[in-house]
This record gives sequence, C-alpha cells and structure tokens, in this order.
Amino acid sequence: MNHSLRHSNLKSRVASVLLVVGKKYRTLFGVAMASTVAAGCAQNAPQDTWQPKGPNAKIIDDLQQPVFAVAGIIGLIVAVAIIYVIFKYKDRGQPIPEQTHGKPALEITLTIIPALILAVVAVFTFGAIFKLAKTDDTEMIINVTGQQWWWEYDYPVQNEFGINQPIISSGQLVMPVGTKVLLRETSRDVIHSYWIPALNGKRDAVPGRVQTLRLEADKPGLFAGQCTEFCGLSHANMRMEAIALSKADFAKWVANQQAAYVAPEKDSLAQQGEAVFLNQCVRCHQVNGLLRADGTPAIAAPDENVWSGAAPNLTHLMSRNTFAGATFDLLSKQCRDEVWNAPSSEIGEKYLAGVSENCLNQKDLRGWLRNAPAMKPMYANPTQLVATGGKYRGMPYLALSEDDISKLVAYLLTLK
Amino acid sequence: MFSTGFKYFIGVTVLSVVALVMSLFVLDQLAIAGVALSMLIGSTALLAGIAVVTRDGQTKTSSPELSKDLTTQSIWPLVTSVGVVLLALGLVISSLVFFSGVIVLLAALAEWMVKSWSERSSKDSGYNSSARKRLLNPIEFPVLAALGLGVVIYSFSRVMLAVDKSTGALLFIGLGSVVLIAGILFVLKPNMKRSVVVAICAFGAVGIFVAGIISASTGLREDLVIAKSESHEHPECGPERSKHFDKLAEGNLSLRSSVDATIELVDGKLSARIVGFNKPQNSVTIRRSTPTNLIFHNLDAKEYRLVANLGDLASTEPEGKTEKNLVCTQLTAQGAEQALVLKIDKPATVGTPYLLSVPGLEGQSIELVVP
Repeated sequence: MNHSLRHSNLKSRVASVLLVVGKKYRTLFGVAMASTVAAGCAQNAPQDTWQPKGPNAKIIDDLQQPVFAVAGIIGLIVAVAIIYVIFKYKDRGQPIPEQTHGKPALEITLTIIPALILAVVAVFTFGAIFKLAKTDDTEMIINVTGQQWWWEYDYPVQNEFGINQPIISSGQLVMPVGTKVLLRETSRDVIHSYWIPALNGKRDAVPGRVQTLRLEADKPGLFAGQCTEFCGLSHANMRMEAIALSKADFAKWVANQQAAYVAPEKDSLAQQGEAVFLNQCVRCHQVNGLLRADGTPAIAAPDENVWSGAAPNLTHLMSRNTFAGATFDLLSKQCRDEVWNAPSSEIGEKYLAGVSENCLNQKDLRGWLRNAPAMKPMYANPTQLVATGGKYRGMPYLALSEDDISKLVAYLLTLK
Repeated sequence: MFSTGFKYFIGVTVLSVVALVMSLFVLDQLAIAGVALSMLIGSTALLAGIAVVTRDGQTKTSSPELSKDLTTQSIWPLVTSVGVVLLALGLVISSLVFFSGVIVLLAALAEWMVKSWSERSSKDSGYNSSARKRLLNPIEFPVLAALGLGVVIYSFSRVMLAVDKSTGALLFIGLGSVVLIAGILFVLKPNMKRSVVVAICAFGAVGIFVAGIISASTGLREDLVIAKSESHEHPECGPERSKHFDKLAEGNLSLRSSVDATIELVDGKLSARIVGFNKPQNSVTIRRSTPTNLIFHNLDAKEYRLVANLGDLASTEPEGKTEKNLVCTQLTAQGAEQALVLKIDKPATVGTPYLLSVPGLEGQSIELVVP
C-alpha cells in the first residue's frame, strides 16, 4: 500500500468516525458546553473563588484577576493562531513547502517575552505569599484539627475575647468580624485541606505538623468551605462553614459556649435521653459537665473506639446549625434559609438563636441516629475494621430503638 | 487489520472490565476500586480508539530484512525476566524485593525499548548505536555514578561505625588527605595515562569497599551497641543520666519544623511561646489524641529538665497503687534545647490539671489544657 493511499484511508476513517460521533452527540455536546458556560453566571455559588469577603481573599483575588486576564488574552491569541493555521494550511494536496530551521531572533523573542511575563507574575505572587504568611499581627488564635471526615475547632484561653476556659466545637467555625484570626491546623489521621474560598486560599492539615492560615471577614456572614485534599471514602462530605459575627454577637456566643452544663428536667423525656447518651454515646462523644450516676464526670474515650482518636464534642450542639462534619443541617430548610438569607446586620441574631424544637431537622438527625453509615459512607462496618484494629472511622450503626432515638433527640435539644 | 497499539489498549480495557465485574462480586464497597477501574477503562478505550484510527501513527512500514541485519544480541530480555522474578518474589517475601523488582523491570524495559528503536532507526549500525547513546547515556552515567558513589559512601560509613571515635577522626583526615593529594596529582599531571587514573580510582574504591565488608562483619563499636539497647523515648525523669542517649538526634529536625510551643526557662521563670500569640503564655492548649511537639529551651545558668505531669497511670495491681504519669526531657544544659512529644487522649479531671514543670524550681509551672 503506497503512502498516499494509506493517507487517504486514514482521512476517510477519521471523517467517518467524526460524522457518526457528530450526528449522535452533537446536541448533547452543545448542551454540555452551554451548561458549562452558563454555570459561570451562577448567583447562588457560596464557594465562588471570585467573590472575596475578607482582606486575605482579596489579596488572592487582586493577583488572580490580572493573571487570569493576561493568561486569557494569550490563550485567545494562541487559539486564534492555531485555528487560522489549521484552516489556512489545510491539506488540499498541495506540495509540502520548504522546511526551514533556526530563526534566532524569533526564538530569542519568543523566549524572552514569556520569561518577562512570568517574572512579573512571580514578583506579585511572592508578594501575595509573604502577605498571607504573616503571623505577627494575629489578634485571635483558633486550633483547627482535621480527621475523617469532620473538622474540630478549639479556642485556647484568650482573655481579651472573654475566653477564659477553652471552647471546643466542630463543623462551624465562629469568628469575630474585622479580627485577624490565625488558624493553627493539623490532622489526626490523614492529610486534609482547609478551604473557605471567600476568606482565604487552601492550607493542608498534615498529621504531625502545625500549619497556619489567616482568616478575616469584612462583614458578618456565613461562608461555605470544603476539604480539598482527598482524604478517604467521605472526602466529598467533609464540609465546613465559617460564621463571622459582630464583636458584640461573638461575645454572646463565647459566653454561651462557656456556660455551665444544665441537666435536663427531672422525669422528662430529655432526662431519659441523657441516660441513653451516658450508656451509648459517651464512649466517644464528650459533653462537658455531664456526670455519671455516681457523680463522677463522664469522660469520653474516643481514643479507644475511633481510629482518629476523636469524635465531635457535643457540649453546645444545638448552638450549631450543622452536624456530621457539616454534611447535614440541624435546622429545617425553612429555618436554615432564614439564617443564610438574612441581611448581614441580622445574621448574628438569627445564628445565635440556635436550634429550637420547631426548627430542628428531625428527619436527618433521627436518620443519623438510626443508621449513620447509611447516610454518610464511613468505614464503620465491623467486618472492615481489621486494618484499624477494630476502631471505627466514623459513627457506627448503634441499633438504637425508635424509643431511644426519640429520647436522645429530646436530650440533644437541651444542649444549647 | 488491527494495529499493535490497538490490540494492547483493547486488551487492557477488556481486562479492566473483567476486573471491575469481579470486584462487584468480591468487594463489599467498590468506591475507590470502581472509580479507578472505570477511569482506566475509559482512558484505555479512548487510546485504543485513537490507535485504530491513526494506525499507531505509522507512516511507513519498516523493513524486516533491515531489522534482522542490524539487530544485535541483547541482555535486556534476561534482565527483564530477573525483574519479573524479583517482582513476584517480592509479593511474597518483602516490599524491598518487590520495589527492587519494579526498578529493575522499569529500567530493563526502558533500555530494551530504546535499543529496539535505535536498531531500526537507519541502515547504519554506527549511527544506530550513537542514537541509543545520545538518548540513554545522559541517564545511565549519572545513575551508575550515583550507585557507585553510594556503595563507596556506604562502605566507608561501615568503617566509621566499627572503629573507635578517635581512630575514626584520624581515618577521616587520612582519607581526605589521600583524595586531596590524588586530585592535585591529576591536576599537575594532565597528560597522565587514562589507564593509570582509572587504576588509582578503582583501587581506592575497591579498597574502601573491602574495608566496608570487613567492618560490617566486625560489627558496631561498643558504645553504639550500648546506645542502641537504650530506650529513646524520654527514658528518665529521675537523677540518673544516660551516657549514650542521642538526645533525639534523629527526630530533632522534623520536630523543630513543627513546634506547637517553645517552653522557655529564663531567670528561674517558665513561659510558653506559641506561634500566633504575641506574648508569652502561661498555659498551652493541646488537642486530644494528637502528637504535639514542645521544645524546652533552657536559658538558665544550671542544667534542668522539663517534666510533663500527666496525672496518674492506671493501676495494674490489685491494691490500687497509683503511679505518676511523667514524661521528661533529658537534662538540658544552659542555652540548649530538648524536644518533648506529648500525646494526651483525655482531658484532666477537675482539680488535678496536667502541668509542665522543672524539678528544682518551686512555684513554676505551665498548665497543659486538653479541651
């Protein structure tokens, strides 16, 4: 078979394949492309990286806007040039033109121009990196610990914010506005990555290391985030939210978090729930101030049951809006929308209201207590625990009766 | 009809489909394996499609006669088979053998592939050989040189571990001087015969290699044997002092790159410097079940150690005799630093906080808060 015949066969084969594919999937392809482009216009995009809500995210935005513009223009020029060459010099059977090699002036120019562009980008990039790495102007510290598949926040003693005993929470990071907050991140098991796009870039949480990330919010608001380092089966369900409150509202939040434990009323359903909690849940979950029947403090032992060595502290669970690694809402949809859609000036009041019985998302909470692994993939099946020495990687199935679930829900509602 | 590339990729695709189907029956949770196999199927099917449409990108057929004439004997099939055997043995014996097999196999396949390609690149066997060298020598020479140097350095390290410290120092000076003299000789006599230079270098390398084997068979010197037998996990909180303890030398670098807090002792006063806090603190918050690195920096005139008092250990005796759970640094001289790694699983009970203190200094402590 000579060369031209083979060439012609190849062309006809490619053309026939393209024709079939084109006919079948042209519409589908068009819809997919249009959807992709249209997605860029979404208004309800809480993790949009182009909408900074604080000075640190603004530093990144100020860098990425011009770089994106320059890269876009260059990309466009290259694409147009390629398309022009494809059509202009399309194979029409004409003889192959004379091949030349070596144009020093052109090659040097095409090397120097990109080098200069990259050098300019590098100067501003390094400037942004150094600004974001500053720690000496910190006003507040929050320790952030990642584990499969939730985030823990603990606030060390900081008397200037009224924190005179450590506060521990999970799922939602609460911070005062206009305050330079420094997160000290680490992990208890595998590498995770903390990312609230509206407030700053990403920072890996690495076991055995403490890494810092600055956050600051301009105005009160709720900001969504997502773990951005693949960390196992439920990585996609490892979410987080940052809640920025006015300084006055933050002080109220701090006061509430430090409030002493209030035992449920005697002979109430909640009191029965407390007994169920002591019997089932306290093996992993701590509620500060909770006492056993003999009067000794109930100290949870997640290190004996959970692979990461920790489970969320539930002391003021109902002051949060989410549970299970911010995967599920504690608030019903209507109540949650009221918080998320509230104007900035009212967010604090709405958030601090916590979760009332009327607003509780009974369906998801009861479902979670009924069979947690069915709602969020976790290695909680006893047959799969050999690798972890019998320890769970998330909340296991506890075989609770519907009666016990009702008691527990009543008890958890008291943890305001 | 079907090209070689197509056959290969479609084979991988079919095998992956079979693996996926089998996984459905074997694995309870298919998440990761399923995603990986699906992606493999998608990509290899795409490559198979490209291969069949482009006929493997071939524009002309190679001449069988030409290949036969220019093909030389090759050692790489043999090396490849050794790699496969190591790979298979490694699955059973150890991961070291397995990864050695992987390296041998990859290297042999790369060499074999380039050799096959170069032998068919032209009718001139000399050009073919130079094409192979041009491609592989920049990789082969540095790799072989690194391996050779590695063997020499490892052999010399065995010698240094076998002889006593003062002999080791003399040996190091002596060997360094020999290398320096040889280097000067080569510079002063640029016309020296190549064979002489090679002989000198080879003699030195073989000498060190043989000395290394002899030293390795002799064993470590006595103090290293004793040090190896000691515990390296903060073994002492009392007045005793380890003679050979290496002060966590192997961990210091990584510990210091990730310090939670530095505990300073200055003029008889303890304070904690924590990243992010602008002022010294009198408490350190430690996360539950998380290894936490502390550095004790003694800026006082005397030797001190830092002691972490972590409550009582659970009793193993029927009488309920309790024992303090103490974790300590070594005695630390003035200006020196010591690392302390803590992992605390439970918060302290009310009234008996966890404390960092320095024996011999009354009234000075830092609270360890575990929320």
